[in-house]
Amino acid sequence: MSDPVAGTAGERVTHEHGDRLLASLARRAWRPLAVVTAATAAASAATLAMPALLAAAVDRVLAGEDVFAAAARLALVLAVMTLADLVCHVAGAAANASATSALRLRFTGHILRLGVGEARRFPTGELANRLVSNTAGAGQVPLALLDTAAGLVTAAGGIIALFLIDWRTGLAFVAGLPVALVIILLFVSRMSGLYDRYQETQGRLAARLTDTLAGIRTVRASGTADREIARVLTPLPELSETGHALWRAQARGGWRIGLVLPLMEVAVLAVAGLGVVAGRLEPGQLLAVAGYATLGLSFIEHVDAVMSVAQARSSARRVSQVLALPTQAPGTRPAPDGPGTLSFRGVTVTRDGARLLDGLDLELPAGSLTAVVGPSGAGKTTLAMVAGRLMDPDRGQVLLDGRPLAELAPDALRDVVAYAFERPALLGGDLASAIAYGRPGTSLAAVQEAAASARVDDVIRRLPQGYDTPAAGAPLSGGELQRLGLARALVRRARLTVLDDATSSLDTATEAQVTRTLVDGMRGRTRLVVAHRATTAAHADLVVWLENGRISAQGTHRELWNDPSYRALFAAEENSGKEEACPVLR
Amino acid sequence: MSGASLTPLLGPRTLSAPRLLLALLRPRKRPLAVALALSAVESAPTLLSGLLIAAAIDRGFLAGRPGTGLALLGLLAAVMSLKAVATRLTLPVLAKVVEPLRDDLVRAVVTATVARAAGGAEPPDPASVNRLTAQVETVRNLVSALLRSTRQLGMSLIAALVGLLALSPPAAAIAVGPVVLALALFAWLLRTLASRQRALILADERLTAEATPILSGLRDVAACGAHDQARATVDAAVSAQVAATMSMAWAGTGRRLVVTLGVHVPLLVLLIAARPLVEGGHLSAGEVIGAVTYLATGLDPALRMLISTVGGWGVALAVTLRRIAESVTVPVTSPRTGTGPGPFGHRLDAERLTFGYAPEATPVVRDLDLAIPEGEHLAVVGPSGAGKSTLSMLLTGLLPPTGGRILVGGLPLDETPEHRLRTMIALVPQEAYVFAGTVRENLAYLGADTDARLRAAAAAVGALPLVERLGGLDAVIEEPSSLSAGEKQLIALARVHASPARTVVLDEATCHLDPAAEQRAEEAFAGRDGTLVVIAHRISSAMRARRVLLMDGGTTTAGTHQELLTRSPLYADLVGHWRTNEKRTMP
Repeated sequence: MSDPVAGTAGERVTHEHGDRLLASLARRAWRPLAVVTAATAAASAATLAMPALLAAAVDRVLAGEDVFAAAARLALVLAVMTLADLVCHVAGAAANASATSALRLRFTGHILRLGVGEARRFPTGELANRLVSNTAGAGQVPLALLDTAAGLVTAAGGIIALFLIDWRTGLAFVAGLPVALVIILLFVSRMSGLYDRYQETQGRLAARLTDTLAGIRTVRASGTADREIARVLTPLPELSETGHALWRAQARGGWRIGLVLPLMEVAVLAVAGLGVVAGRLEPGQLLAVAGYATLGLSFIEHVDAVMSVAQARSSARRVSQVLALPTQAPGTRPAPDGPGTLSFRGVTVTRDGARLLDGLDLELPAGSLTAVVGPSGAGKTTLAMVAGRLMDPDRGQVLLDGRPLAELAPDALRDVVAYAFERPALLGGDLASAIAYGRPGTSLAAVQEAAASARVDDVIRRLPQGYDTPAAGAPLSGGELQRLGLARALVRRARLTVLDDATSSLDTATEAQVTRTLVDGMRGRTRLVVAHRATTAAHADLVVWLENGRISAQGTHRELWNDPSYRALFAAEENSGKEEACPVLR
Repeated sequence: MSGASLTPLLGPRTLSAPRLLLALLRPRKRPLAVALALSAVESAPTLLSGLLIAAAIDRGFLAGRPGTGLALLGLLAAVMSLKAVATRLTLPVLAKVVEPLRDDLVRAVVTATVARAAGGAEPPDPASVNRLTAQVETVRNLVSALLRSTRQLGMSLIAALVGLLALSPPAAAIAVGPVVLALALFAWLLRTLASRQRALILADERLTAEATPILSGLRDVAACGAHDQARATVDAAVSAQVAATMSMAWAGTGRRLVVTLGVHVPLLVLLIAARPLVEGGHLSAGEVIGAVTYLATGLDPALRMLISTVGGWGVALAVTLRRIAESVTVPVTSPRTGTGPGPFGHRLDAERLTFGYAPEATPVVRDLDLAIPEGEHLAVVGPSGAGKSTLSMLLTGLLPPTGGRILVGGLPLDETPEHRLRTMIALVPQEAYVFAGTVRENLAYLGADTDARLRAAAAAVGALPLVERLGGLDAVIEEPSSLSAGEKQLIALARVHASPARTVVLDEATCHLDPAAEQRAEEAFAGRDGTLVVIAHRISSAMRARRVLLMDGGTTTAGTHQELLTRSPLYADLVGHWRTNEKRTMP
């Protein structure tokens, strides 16, 4: 449930896809990463020089010699170390920011190129989460890996230094290394799976909360807020259990690591102590040995980094799942000149095994008003989606004036097709921009004219801020929202306008006015209207009756009215107004 | 419902971040005390390392007694193993702090969010829900990181200084000054760090706020050909986030300089000062090495880590806690408990009922007198925006009137106990609520008892084919969004039909059904015992009703369909539009 694409594209998206994504990120942020690399190298060199210089300075102190030159060298190395750290810090942040923002832009670009059917595989909250959180998680990986690599190089340098000072100390260190490595690797692979489980449980909880909030009016009216809170919290015990499992795994792994490493360090010190006794080493060199042993062991600090990489791999996988959804290939050709004839040729749309449209052939004459009717689930909305290429059919073609929609360049396509929906999302800022969304150059006069045609101009003018009212917080009823959506379609003056149940929330009087706009005001432009009401069908030049993704019949409303099962589609209206409303029956 | 430990978290006033943290940690005193005690054990190697190494050199390796030196190092190894054991024991103890803390936060956030929305506040969008989840997770991670490291690092810092003092007071005197100075400087820096961190979090939130409408309106973006515009909107928010990240990074460089001051300066001073001290006999060779060990392997990592954890995670924690504290604020509402006798019967009366959304705004409902006897079938009609939905909220007591009152069974509605009212009256809103769970759970939501009753209700409203298609009452609806809007409405209708409510208000509850299905559902409710109020979506609903209430922005008219046709030009117009449309096109 938290993984909406499971069983489809998502199943094929493994951690390897995520890893490839991470590699491409590193290439994007190569500039700051290069600076980080250089600074890290300088810092590592300084770090490696430090114990030797410190030992030399201490030996001079103990020998009663002048210490200033040694101290100056030490000070210089410390300064280099500090400076390199500062550069690392800033360039590292730049690398993270650049990788993350590159990924976010890619994610946004990809999402915007998806067909509507694909985009709906993920709930909005899930997409937002992946865009904001998971990209950030993945974006930090290149730097984390670089840090880890630098840390490992420094650690290796420490071990080599041990060998150089006294090969016996190096040997003592290396003897313990394989045990430590095995313990750590086991630990990391174990944690990764637990993190996945934890994140999934969290997603389930958030999804339940979102559901409840969407139905909050029912919850209020039923007085069931307490029950809803309990229901949302149902996954919490599992979340808690997984959280505790993470701690247990950390304790088990961490304890072994915590035991092995200090023992290695002490063993190395003991060997060095014996070296002092034997006269092989100066007393100050004990400090150098201790310092290099610590550096050698510092690879353990990068276990945390490796662990965060494990977490980030989960994030990268979640981003990859979205990036793996197939986009619509944009066409390149301009729209052909023509009056607006729309043809469906063998159009089939399949979704999760079910055929939403099944080999549909249909011709909408130019300039006509076509109504699509049929029971819920007949495929009306799917037909509307493929009519203007919001979705590509799995098989077959849709052609506008003889040219497949898939061949049209995106800009050309949006110039010739406009849409209005049952529940439009108003985007773009204020109401004027919302009507002109996607057409930033549109004049206010044109916007107002479209609003007037959609019978929403006076509604907007009555608002305190008028056309400047922010669309997001505007107090609009469902019907007013629909009329704004309609205005957005009308302002485009497109060759083909598709209305998917776009007047369902209007009261009868307003609908009559809007229908007049649709029938008379838009005469000459091709219109495809998905409708539930007989009135709309009655006004149409052509009625297409869909059942189970196929055309059951087509013709004029009057012709079809003779069929009792066609009348049954509008049964309620037939009954309630049977005296006057259906003269065809008499 | 949600545990006594929530009480300090949820309240009408926003807690400050430290208070919220305190409220979260207070119930966990015991494990915290145990963890603190264990961290004393964990810092033992830091405390003893310099002393033991100095002794091993002076009394062992330099004195020609390697056995003693090895024995002292063995002691150090033993102390270090003890630390590993202590860590092993500490983690489960910390889990007892952190996991219940997260549970409490999740409960508080969920309770506050649902309670606020159920109290009539605008519910947050899915993205804010996700943000809340992420913030709770951030707190969990930060608290556990801070507990794991700071606790131990603070101890290590003190242990290193104490060890140094025990080893050599002059060396300790050299080190203490810069360390204190560094810590003071760091405390001063924290303010800048916190404000930049906050700016960063706000930039993250802005990104979510800008992206969410676009992500939820992808269909509309595509339909408007607004890809470039949508992309530009997200791009701007992404760039602002990058700028905030970099500003934060520059502030972070100050932290690094603090480490230099606190560790590197004392080390250099110690080296320069050591020679006179050694020559004066105040320091032995082992003690010099021991002192440097404290500075280089005890103080250095402890101060470095302390500053990066407090300056990074601690600041982030404070800022995140503040955001959460704001979101778990719930206004105190005293639910109507009511002590008197319940209402008699189910008659509804509105007396001079008035409602306006703002004092200066034209009232949506003005001086409405309306009697709805038990068993009435009333349709409410009127143009969009005439106040029909507002009336449904007023009649069901979900919105308090700004003037006049409503009587239920002869008693004022606001004196009726809340739980009684909710079982007596059911409102079905336009947006049907179906949740993840079995079909039975969804249908029995309002308290129907038997499967037979659920099936009968489903059959009555025409939802039985849907129930069968889903796989019967035991079938699980995994993803409510996979149901169409009409299917969800059928489930909501069946649920209310099966409920014991004697007054049912359908607020455009059938708008996603086709007319035939709508008629069937409405007739099922008309045939049910009790009162039915239909906020009409289609004029046909009015024709089916016994009585019709026509609302037209402030003025209302009530009567039968026939009466209104003759009395109200607006009503005749509403019906007429529909009819003339039919006539004109159906010769």
